[in-house]
Amino acid sequence: MTVRRVLIGLPVIVLIFLLQSYFWVPTYEEQTRGNPKRLQEYVTASIGDAQLLNPILSSDSASSDINGLVFEGLLDYDENLNFRGRLSTHWEIFEEAYFYVNDLATVPVLGAADGEQVARMIKEAKRKFDQTTEPLSKTLANIETIEVLPAQQRKERLEEKTADGKTVNVVVHIEEPPRIKLTLRAVDQELFINLKAILGPTYFSSFHGDRFIRVEPGDFKYKKPKYAEAYLPEVEHNPIIVFHLRPGVKFHDGHQVDAEDVKFTFEAIMNPANVSPRLADYEPVKTVDVQDPFTVQIVYKRLYSPALGTWAMGILPEHLLNRKALGDEARRQGLDPDTMSIRQSSFNRHPVGCGPFRFREWKSDQYVLLDRSDDYWEGPPNYLKYAYRIVPDMLTQEMEFYAGTVDSYGVQPHQVHRLKDDPRYQSFSGLSFGYTYIGYNLRRPPFDDVRVRRALGMAIDVDGIIRYVLYGQGEEITGPFPKQTDFYNHEVKPLPYDPEAAVRLLAEAGWKRNKKGWLEKDGKRLEFTLITNQGNNIRKAILSIVQDSWRKIGVDVRTDLLEWAVFIQERVNKLDFDALILGWSMGIEPDLYQIWHSSQSGPYRLNFVGFNNSEADELIIKIRQEYNREQQIADCHRLHEIIAEAQPYTFLFVRKWTALLDKRIVIMERDPEGKARYRKITPTKTGSYTFFFNKWIKLPDEPVFEAEG
Amino acid sequence: MLAFVARSFVQKLITLFFVSVISFAVIHLAPGEPSQVDPLNPKFTKEVVERFRQQFHLDKPLHQQYLLFYRDLLSGKSVSWKDGRPVLGKIFERFMNSLPLFLVGTLITWTLSFPVGIQAAIRRGGVYDRTTTFMAYLLISIPGFFFAYVLIIFVVNTFHVPVIGMRTFGLSGAGFAVRAMDRVWHLVIPSILGATAGIAVLSRYVRNQMLEVEGQDYVRTARAKGLPEDQVHYKHALRNALLPFVTMFGLILPGLIGGSVIIESIFSWPGIGRMAYEAILARDYPLIITVNFISAILVLIGTFLSDLLYMVVDPRIKL
Repeated sequence: MTVRRVLIGLPVIVLIFLLQSYFWVPTYEEQTRGNPKRLQEYVTASIGDAQLLNPILSSDSASSDINGLVFEGLLDYDENLNFRGRLSTHWEIFEEAYFYVNDLATVPVLGAADGEQVARMIKEAKRKFDQTTEPLSKTLANIETIEVLPAQQRKERLEEKTADGKTVNVVVHIEEPPRIKLTLRAVDQELFINLKAILGPTYFSSFHGDRFIRVEPGDFKYKKPKYAEAYLPEVEHNPIIVFHLRPGVKFHDGHQVDAEDVKFTFEAIMNPANVSPRLADYEPVKTVDVQDPFTVQIVYKRLYSPALGTWAMGILPEHLLNRKALGDEARRQGLDPDTMSIRQSSFNRHPVGCGPFRFREWKSDQYVLLDRSDDYWEGPPNYLKYAYRIVPDMLTQEMEFYAGTVDSYGVQPHQVHRLKDDPRYQSFSGLSFGYTYIGYNLRRPPFDDVRVRRALGMAIDVDGIIRYVLYGQGEEITGPFPKQTDFYNHEVKPLPYDPEAAVRLLAEAGWKRNKKGWLEKDGKRLEFTLITNQGNNIRKAILSIVQDSWRKIGVDVRTDLLEWAVFIQERVNKLDFDALILGWSMGIEPDLYQIWHSSQSGPYRLNFVGFNNSEADELIIKIRQEYNREQQIADCHRLHEIIAEAQPYTFLFVRKWTALLDKRIVIMERDPEGKARYRKITPTKTGSYTFFFNKWIKLPDEPVFEAEG
Repeated sequence: MLAFVARSFVQKLITLFFVSVISFAVIHLAPGEPSQVDPLNPKFTKEVVERFRQQFHLDKPLHQQYLLFYRDLLSGKSVSWKDGRPVLGKIFERFMNSLPLFLVGTLITWTLSFPVGIQAAIRRGGVYDRTTTFMAYLLISIPGFFFAYVLIIFVVNTFHVPVIGMRTFGLSGAGFAVRAMDRVWHLVIPSILGATAGIAVLSRYVRNQMLEVEGQDYVRTARAKGLPEDQVHYKHALRNALLPFVTMFGLILPGLIGGSVIIESIFSWPGIGRMAYEAILARDYPLIITVNFISAILVLIGTFLSDLLYMVVDPRIKL
């Protein structure tokens, strides 16, 4: 019967054909043995795919992994988190400060004074600076030149909206009074405060810019104070960074890297058409001037100390992305050359940078392949190739690692105990740059009482959470700075776990247990809802543990799990919550403005707990403006103390990561004669094990190192 | 016939319009913003967020967004918000990746289900029938991801060969035959996994269909006139039992673009299902709506084709 034979024969043939393919596929051992090139290739895996391989446009971690290898910034952080030059060999930071001559102010001795007189006064004071007291003498010694800028006229044009929504062109005529320009050797945020000792305490504050302004049409006169503030600020700090670029560095297409590329990268970020997520970092920049092909001067509008760190951003090749290049590309693709932006360019899928690896191929959701750049300025990396595979599933990543088709594996907390000391692999671990916390809505009672917040914190066994939820892969933290940086204040002690003391503290705040065991004050029960987002199992576990601990001391707490978008839009952004569990991931720069400054506590802002402390506000601004690292660290330590004291968050923990690496991967360096020397990969002080990645190589057999020490 | 085609075309256009409105509305009803707009990132100032919204036309009223959107889609200008690439190009690339998985999966499903189902029907109530019934329910009940993990761990630990992805990573130096077979091997496990549920369900269908036909008078007649058993089963019964399955071919069509999210994610297969899933998570509206729209078209074409097929194979039906 043919039909029957076909019906049975067909599936058999199909299955045999499919299964026989097994015999063609090399096993893992065969792969490395038969393919020695595999040793010169580093393969790593990531859960998610890159979005855009363009450092000014991407904000996801996979893209930045790749961008970090293909592109190079002017500087980066070294193993101790200090800055070191990359595309720039060195840089200078100084300041130009300006203030208007205030003809109405009374200065000591002279009374009214014109520009020349004021300049002379400061010069005079400077000559005998060692006779004055500490802060002023420092400020004076720091001043390099004093110059009087003559009065001048200028016009500013802008658009304003009238009450009925029409747009009107407004011209602001400015009769600028003479101005004094001070050049400082180092940035000094106290300059004008200290100069008051010479010029009188109200010299700056009594300057009113609106006297020198005429507005056309007159309807907008009422905006004069606003214009004065914008165009005639009584004092102005202009910090300046001058970068000296490394000559002879080339993009992967052979084009020289020069100061124009730096300027171009800045302009590309600022260009509204590109919609760069990094805009906020560069908004304080006033001008970028190319002084010669290898010197670029960046002037800032105001004091902004995170500025230097922002130049770790990869530099784009101007010649491939300028107006002309984009226009050509638009014509090729049939797009409009006038509206073509970098965001639309195919560059983002075929990036050209000047980093240690050059881009070869990107298959979406499969892999990104890089080749080493042989003329990398610091010497080519040891690996010939770098492969970034996208494996969206953790278990498959693990299987691939065991089998050797991936060289590293980020161990999950529950596996650490089993795999950390596995003799087959080398392992590294460190603290991550982020923490988990419970935030209280300080606007709502009972959270407006610090004693309640402290008591709630003391009732939680953070140690237990770390031990049982994180399998020990975390550390307690007490404040908002990354624990591995110098900004973190190790003097601040965590809240003790002491439910009884918590009950006493609550009693002090007026909350007494009623007959049923719930805490009560003035007949009202201590009750609220603790929320967090769905999809994060650790937070979910904490939610139950915290609920249980709080119920034990008599707090009637309910819990709710919300879908992420609802959680953010309906609850966090609208400030509609009692307490929540959330996490922050931090940068290295200690800028806490968005998360902790009281001005950021409105709806849709990040200080959603409503933390408001005037000393903290001052410190946050001061840290932002402080260019001296020691001072910055001291200020951060104080800020950390204040926040820990106020307990607007119960700081829980920072997680630990552990990574496994094939044991055959080592660091290879060449001594002057060119002989290879091997050493073990050791993590840097801050826990980064990939810091010397360019020197890594995989050996055919597991190396034996002499005992250390 | 022509009248039927014309009528059905108009009906389908209307349906398509409603599908386009509903799928557009549903996406905007879902809370959340495109992943480019991250409200919890301190680097995202209000101005940046506003700029993103303008760029994506999210600041316009919904009906305008709808028009802009479908204008871009129909003129082929729609680009993904995630990486700025044309949506249709992206979908086509992923479609070509999912296609082999789909074809092999369907091939296995359809070639295996029939002999299994027919045998079960013939040996109704016997050990073979009970075993296949048990297996079918087992395969339907096992969660796909769990089965996938078990299978992966088993194959990797026992045979020490790679199973993840579309091909063995770093095999580019090998000869053509090896590379081709390597690709086939990487298809085997995910497509077997994808086929299991299909086989289980389809073989049940075949069995029931066969049983129903076997009870018909004409089968009894065939048997009564002394035809050999095989001929009764495979010629008289099977032919009539096949009718409903012919029409099912039309309904496979939408599966072309659906892909399988779970299997593609577990096996790191860069297919269309995974892309659509990630687009949903990232609220990449153009991509989601386009995939939706295309699958709606495929469903409509599929039902249309199965109507036509039915008419061809079953002369009793006149449209």
